[in-house]
Amino acid sequence: MSLMLVRGLRKSFGERLLFDVAELALQSGSSYLLTGGNGSGKTTMLRILAGLETAQIGSVSFEGVTIPAGEICTQLSPRVVYLHQHPYLFSSSVAANVAYGLKAAGMAHAKREALVREAMTWAGVNHLAHIAPHKLSGGEKQRVALARARILNPKMLLLDEPTANLDEEARRQVAGLIRQMCDNNHCVVIATHDPELMTLKDAVQLRLENAALR
Amino acid sequence: MELLQSTAEALRLLMAGDAELWGIIFVSVKVCFLALVIATPPAVLLGFFLASRIFPGRRVLIVAVQTLLALPTVVIGLILYMLLSRQGPFGSMHLLFTQQAMVIGEAILAFPILAALTLSAVQAVDPRVAETARTLGAKPWRTSLTMLLEVRFAVMAAMVSGFGRVISEIGCAMMVGGNIAGVTRNITTAIALETSKGEFVEGIALGIVLVIIALTINFGLALLQGRGGSR
Ligand SMILES: Nc1ncnc2c1ncn2[C@@H]1O[C@H](COP(=O)(O)OP(=O)(O)OP(=O)(O)O)[C@@H](O)[C@H]1O
Ligand SMILES: [Mg+2]
Repeated sequence: MSLMLVRGLRKSFGERLLFDVAELALQSGSSYLLTGGNGSGKTTMLRILAGLETAQIGSVSFEGVTIPAGEICTQLSPRVVYLHQHPYLFSSSVAANVAYGLKAAGMAHAKREALVREAMTWAGVNHLAHIAPHKLSGGEKQRVALARARILNPKMLLLDEPTANLDEEARRQVAGLIRQMCDNNHCVVIATHDPELMTLKDAVQLRLENAALR
Repeated sequence: MELLQSTAEALRLLMAGDAELWGIIFVSVKVCFLALVIATPPAVLLGFFLASRIFPGRRVLIVAVQTLLALPTVVIGLILYMLLSRQGPFGSMHLLFTQQAMVIGEAILAFPILAALTLSAVQAVDPRVAETARTLGAKPWRTSLTMLLEVRFAVMAAMVSGFGRVISEIGCAMMVGGNIAGVTRNITTAIALETSKGEFVEGIALGIVLVIIALTINFGLALLQGRGGSR
């Protein structure tokens, strides 16, 4: 059984057809590299899968359960988490950002604390705890956003060009974290051109071209 | 020369802690503060909903808020006077010429500023805020709360602006307060009265206080705007 199965997915902006995909099946434990030229619709595709953008959708099911197309986000978040190309960190603190999803899920402060520390250590952002989030560098923001998502143990992670616009060092760090998330329990879909990520082992290649996915 | 002398005398009065003078200042600050406390929650809620929800009548409400923003304070004072006067619908509450009436009037004056500034702040908030909250599993109410927290400095700036508008206005305070010594006399109505009596010292002293308050407010606004715009 696919983790997520989407049939009859069409997206147009006005007259312009962006893509028309008969079937997209994403498996748990697999990672996917979504490529395509500028404007081919990679970002839009990920946003639709996260339920942040509407589209014409024949049917969606997640773990075998049919989901109404308009309720993808409300029903699947935070089992499905989307990361913006430039993640937004709330103007609280780094720790509060990482804790956000657990708090939203109603977990008590005392229970959250150890998990937050663990996730921050994983992402190597412990030393940033006392810096205002908007002052962090692009790579640091990306790492905090990864920690903020990972702490929720999502079944599916949608990453939009996570290493674009980062310098060499930051790219390697972020790629390293992403590599760790591509394990048997997660389905990671990455829109990217980055050669560093293209070498991800066993990743399935998906290419958006001429309004089709192959 | 007379102006200089009067100003020196005014400063002396202020420094000496003149009870009547400071009582008047206290009335102004207290009334404005209470008005803001009352007006802020509903105004911020309205501004937030106007910015983030689409519903029938939304545009009409936005225009209504903007119209209230432009309404002269004496007109609000007049309407409130008629409502609260003995023959008016709320006459039996005996509120006219009390501090409560002034608080109501100033709250009505502060309301559209708070609502309009919250509205534009929420409209300007980065769309990624709501998207990030939702994808991390936040329910609609938490998403809203998160958006409001992101614009908290703009909301505080709106409160400071509202305070600035109500502490410096005279029309409504005069009409529903009645400028009663020791009760409803505030900075602006006292200045008007003293000046009309040809006594400038107290007027100048209160004027100085008002200017200092205005400067403080603008300084505070600049600080808040700096914080809000820093991301
Ligand atoms: N709200 C919108 N209205 C109209 N057109 C849009 C809208 N959003 C995106 N588009 C268009 O859809 C196309 C696909 O955009 P998208 O951002 O998904 O591409 P992308 O593959 O992520 O590109 P890039 O590699 O530059 O990130 C673009 O041509 C864009 O201009
Ligand atoms: Mg893109």
